[in-house]
Amino acid sequence: MDTLEKKLTEQDKDKDIELSRPDVASLREEIQHNLVKQPKLGFWTVFSSTFITIFLAEMGDKTQLVTLLMSAESQSPWIVFAGAAIALIFTSLLGVLIGYWLSKKLSPKTLDLSVAILLLIITGWLIGDVIS
Amino acid sequence: MANMDWQLLGLSFITVFLAEIGDKSQLAAIALGGSSKFPRAVFLGATAALILTSLIGVIAGGGVAQILPEKLLKSLAAVGFACMALRLVWLPSIEKKE
Repeated sequence: MDTLEKKLTEQDKDKDIELSRPDVASLREEIQHNLVKQPKLGFWTVFSSTFITIFLAEMGDKTQLVTLLMSAESQSPWIVFAGAAIALIFTSLLGVLIGYWLSKKLSPKTLDLSVAILLLIITGWLIGDVIS
Repeated sequence: MANMDWQLLGLSFITVFLAEIGDKSQLAAIALGGSSKFPRAVFLGATAALILTSLIGVIAGGGVAQILPEKLLKSLAAVGFACMALRLVWLPSIEKKE
């Protein structure tokens, strides 16, 4: 009994030593630092990568041509612009909501794979646009 | 705005709405919105990009086709989407190894 108790206290000491090791402490600090810092960086990275890719993909695309033609034909181009802008807000909101809903339904692994496939479909679609 | 043309507003809304449903950018919004920790950032980024392209369309009028190398821009966008897809497949496997 006495030896067992001794053994246990020794184990506890070992644990204490392990926890106080500098690399563990610095690792913990790094994780906490990342947790604090990443959200801000992440938000703007996501915003700008979405903005740039969609902007490049939509330049000269059919929606832009439709607004262009409609505003040229009508006497009030700004009303056409307003209608188009509201429609675009709705379609992207719908898209993001569908994506968000799917992310709750699928497992992370399946989600990553299906998103990757979807992105490659868009890539193929764009290449098709460029070739034709 | 006494002479607000509601018919024109509705017409342009419906035309653009129907053109965009199921189009590339909406698929991109679904994909990015689902995979990102910040769906709000995806929504804002997508909306800003789409509104800016229509604004350019309205302002530049017929001249826009001549100014912009449309095929080059689309190729760049294709590269961007491909990179995002590869990143999704690559990054988790790298993290596991480490």
